[in-house]
Amino acid sequence: MISIENLTVRFGGVVALDHIGAEFSANVSGLIGPNGAGKTTTMNVISGFLDAHNGHVIVEGTDLVKLAPHKRVQWGLRRSFQKEQIANDLTVRENLMAITDHLRGSRGDKRADLERAAEFAGVTGILDKMGRDLNTFERRLTDVARCVIGHPKMIMFDEPAGGLTPEETERLGDLILGIHDLTGAKVLVIDHDVELIERICAETLVLDFGKRVAFGPTSEVLRDPAVQAAYLGIEVEEEHA
Amino acid sequence: MRSTTNTIWAVFGLALILVLPAFAGGQWIKIFTSTTTFAMAAAGAGFLYTRLGMVSLVQVGLMGVGGWVTLRLNHAFNFPFEINLMVAGAVTMFLGNLIALPALRMRGLYLALITLMFAAGLDIVFTAKQFPNGAAGFWGVGTTFAADMRRPLLAQSDAAYLRYTMVWLVIGFVLIELHRRMAPGRAWALIRKSEAAALASGVNVTLYKTWAFGLSGLLAGLGGGLLAGSLGLLDSATFRASESVMLFALVIVGGARFWYGAVIAAVLFRVVPGLLNNWGVDADLSLVIFGAALLHAVMTAPDGLAGQINGAVRALIPGGKTAETKSDKKGAKA
Repeated sequence: MISIENLTVRFGGVVALDHIGAEFSANVSGLIGPNGAGKTTTMNVISGFLDAHNGHVIVEGTDLVKLAPHKRVQWGLRRSFQKEQIANDLTVRENLMAITDHLRGSRGDKRADLERAAEFAGVTGILDKMGRDLNTFERRLTDVARCVIGHPKMIMFDEPAGGLTPEETERLGDLILGIHDLTGAKVLVIDHDVELIERICAETLVLDFGKRVAFGPTSEVLRDPAVQAAYLGIEVEEEHA
Repeated sequence: MRSTTNTIWAVFGLALILVLPAFAGGQWIKIFTSTTTFAMAAAGAGFLYTRLGMVSLVQVGLMGVGGWVTLRLNHAFNFPFEINLMVAGAVTMFLGNLIALPALRMRGLYLALITLMFAAGLDIVFTAKQFPNGAAGFWGVGTTFAADMRRPLLAQSDAAYLRYTMVWLVIGFVLIELHRRMAPGRAWALIRKSEAAALASGVNVTLYKTWAFGLSGLLAGLGGGLLAGSLGLLDSATFRASESVMLFALVIVGGARFWYGAVIAAVLFRVVPGLLNNWGVDADLSLVIFGAALLHAVMTAPDGLAGQINGAVRALIPGGKTAETKSDKKGAKA
């Protein structure tokens, strides 16, 4: 269970997140909303890159907001970025080791874990390839491997399908669906691709202008007129209703 | 391919350690020793720049601190040279950590300016207090004193001391390379990519930035201590803030991504003025040459002279122009 309680973030006079709350119990949940809705801000607060003025993010009894960003990773939080952050001057293997370096465990366990993550994401064949030589999809797959390594408890994907072909997006969706069975982690996905969200996310939270518009089973949420108005830009004309 | 190039360089380096001290005579042996010590500081600045993208303009100032501590301990106590050198390295490593504190908040030009400010502060202290020469008191400076500088047992002669210094430089390069291949190197690569990427990978950014500055400070301090051992007396003019700026500029000209770039930087820094002096030309002309070289490096050779040499060596070795060469070029642009 990922429990977001009363999360509030202000930038000066702008309220980027306004008392957001939701309890995600699904294995894969979604977070959608138009540009500037506060999706990435939510993710950054959970990661520890931004401080929340108020609120808690409680996962398996731990309030993540109270931990330093690097401690959250040690606890089991993983995330990907809109623009994936694979170090160009490291190999894929080294990019993965950069995470296990900071986790507890024997060298043998870490190696086995790395190989398991690489195999799951389908990057075993390119483990020794340099980051700068990877194509867009390989970078995304490496990102998935980074997210599933080291026994994670919660994984966040920030627009993972950005720049991918429909076939690649489908494969990525399958991978994300398989994460819970592999690691037991809860997954939170932000994406503009509603088809992807509909396919892989059982529950979805919709934000607009930093406020919660709707939350619940994805199919119901997407049919909600308020969501269609906010997210899809459809005006709700009450007079005609 | 990479191991072939490394083997060639290792053999070349070993030959240089054996041959150079035997053939260099008189003044040149001192110049080469000082070149080697500055190469250590240059290696520190180069590693900080290429691994973390951070500019340190205080390396020569930290060499001064290393030299000061070594001289101070030499005249105050009867410790072996190595102990003095280690303490000097520890002190500059600590100072490096201290300088890293603003590095946690500053980026790019602002960080460079902070380090320059430290260098200017050290410059003033060195000019006001001078370097210990065996007199009494904490600062240990007297007008008529010139106490003996003890050298390592194995390196009493100038030629042996040059070899000794070169071995330290190799140790410095090995230290940097070991870091690069292990957890700190991976953490630094992520920090260089972006701090968000590092944090999202569980890297303690504060710890690893401080660590990097400490390592860079350690190398500068060891270089300064070794320079003190070579000359016996140090002069504040050697450690001006402007010298730190010059050394950094030459690190870019030499090529920060390659270890031998640091050697090229130090050779330009110490040998070119010496050569000009030998030819009866004003050594300040070297500033003009360095300025032109920096422009050349910035415009046409982002990996400096070392990058160009590396390219040439690869072209000479059969099968040298592989995909790796291409990817390296891409990496340099990235």
